[in-house]
Amino acid sequence: MSSLDLTSSDVPAIVELHSAIETPENVVLTYRLAGPALRLWAYVIDTVIRGIVLFVAAIVAEISEMAIEGVPMGLWLVLLFLMEWGYFAIFEGFFRGKTIGKHAMSIRVIQEAGYPISFWSALMRNFLRAADMIPLYGIGFISAFTSGKFRRLGDLAAGTVVIEERKVQLPREPIILEKIQPLSRTDIGTYVPPHKTLTLIEEFLQRRFVVTHQRGHELAARLAAVLAKKLNFQGEANFVEEYPMAFLARVYVTFHRTMNNDADEIHDHHPDQRQQAVAGEAMFTSP
Amino acid sequence: MISKREYRRKRQADWTRFEALIHKVDNKGWKKLSGNDASQFSQLFREVCHDLSIVRTRDWGAGLTSYLNDLVTKGHNIFYKAPPTRSHDFFAFLSRGFPRIFRRNIGFFITAAAMFFLPLLITWIVVQNRPELATRILPVQQLDQMEDMYAEAEFEEFGTDRAAMGGFYVMNNVGIALRCFAMGVLLGTGTVYLLLTNGIVIGATFGYLIGKGHGENLLSFVVSHGSFELTAIAVAGGAGLMLGEAIVHPGQRTRIDSLRTRGLEAVQIAGGAAVMLMVAAMIEAFWSPAPIADEIKYTAGGMLWLLVILYLTLAGRGEEVA
Repeated sequence: MSSLDLTSSDVPAIVELHSAIETPENVVLTYRLAGPALRLWAYVIDTVIRGIVLFVAAIVAEISEMAIEGVPMGLWLVLLFLMEWGYFAIFEGFFRGKTIGKHAMSIRVIQEAGYPISFWSALMRNFLRAADMIPLYGIGFISAFTSGKFRRLGDLAAGTVVIEERKVQLPREPIILEKIQPLSRTDIGTYVPPHKTLTLIEEFLQRRFVVTHQRGHELAARLAAVLAKKLNFQGEANFVEEYPMAFLARVYVTFHRTMNNDADEIHDHHPDQRQQAVAGEAMFTSP
Repeated sequence: MISKREYRRKRQADWTRFEALIHKVDNKGWKKLSGNDASQFSQLFREVCHDLSIVRTRDWGAGLTSYLNDLVTKGHNIFYKAPPTRSHDFFAFLSRGFPRIFRRNIGFFITAAAMFFLPLLITWIVVQNRPELATRILPVQQLDQMEDMYAEAEFEEFGTDRAAMGGFYVMNNVGIALRCFAMGVLLGTGTVYLLLTNGIVIGATFGYLIGKGHGENLLSFVVSHGSFELTAIAVAGGAGLMLGEAIVHPGQRTRIDSLRTRGLEAVQIAGGAAVMLMVAAMIEAFWSPAPIADEIKYTAGGMLWLLVILYLTLAGRGEEVA
């Protein structure tokens, strides 16, 4: 929340989960980095797959040993080598940065500059697994948490990052808050909240069911308090503290027309505010 | 100024179309795309880029921004796809690219070769004169096992499981070389350690077996594949040292930047070394244990050594430098 002062030194460092790049079209793209947990799961899936393939191949080799001595065993050992040194590199190099496990977790390896991973980079980042693995990926973890962008040594040398690929979805149209009454003109000063703040409220209202009511209340309270002060809100005492979400919704309804640069039409309503607020707050308790 | 809602209504159809195109390319690849689709793709891609900038500057919310951001990201990833690797590229790399890059960084190879071959030779000489010293390097069991293997009567049995042994050599030897390379990223320390230990172990083995009187069997066996195998271990080691050196002496760059820039040549050298070791594994499995007169093996072995040297020093010379 940009409206809050977070410059005090007791705020813990924020882990940057995004990595921004500029494309040849001069557009800045942000990538959401895949965290260690997702990558670990992908690795577990890949390891199970490699294990199963080797196990099945071992049975097949065992059976065919009777027919041609030595050859199946030799091929199995070559397969073992490929699973250890080639599996990741081949998948990432030829399937645009995805192994089966990574695909399942919808994460992908890309070059830091945003391009698809090149063959040599895929080889590099996976050859260096041997160093990252010591002991139990300890080196990889230390590197991931100290180098920024969660890069293990292989990523650093290959210039790659692992990103999360979300499902692309158009956000829903902003909710129409017909049930919510705008704030009465007599209760507020001349302050008009900036675009940014209104957008923030809009986003918050759209996603209010993602969090529990209590958490939503907590999140809204801080912004509501700041806004009430700036607006010089003269309405009912305690309203802002008790119903911060409803208050935000009303602020939004009051000013959202300004977002579209229409003529400011701030209505003059003054029904029973308490009743309004309770009705408004009820909107946030159940989807 | 147009309102957010109006803007959305106006542009949404194009966004959906672009999404559909992305899916099409993702599932079918560029080849199956009609010319019309392809030109539409680049047109829409640029438009969506523009939409993203507008939505960002006007602060129209994270939802819309991240939606467009993801569209552009996906488009970008498809649009700038690396050209597919073909088998032709692979052979061009082996016949020209790899030896050239190797020669460009020959200093690292020489250093790695010294770290590998000197301990090998010293241990060999010392242990050959006093075979009992080998027990300080290798467990007695293992020494006995090897002695049995190279003992005159048993030697012929080598040939029975050739293919299986070939597989083992690929797994074991290529693995050692790649580890030699990878450990270079630990400031070169891992590479140095592996080169020294491997040199000492191989030297002790040679010295012990020759000291015990199995020299003929051993040398005629290793002379052929040793050319590719021992050289390639030093080659991979040199690549590992390049990684370490890039981090320790980054010059004008940051250490990470330096590692990334110089790492590209290093990993290519390591790739070449891996191929050399696969060749070595095949020779070791199918030629070295063959029941052929020792003279022929020594001649062939000598020629293979010459071939390795000529390949690394001459292949890809005289042509346009890549």
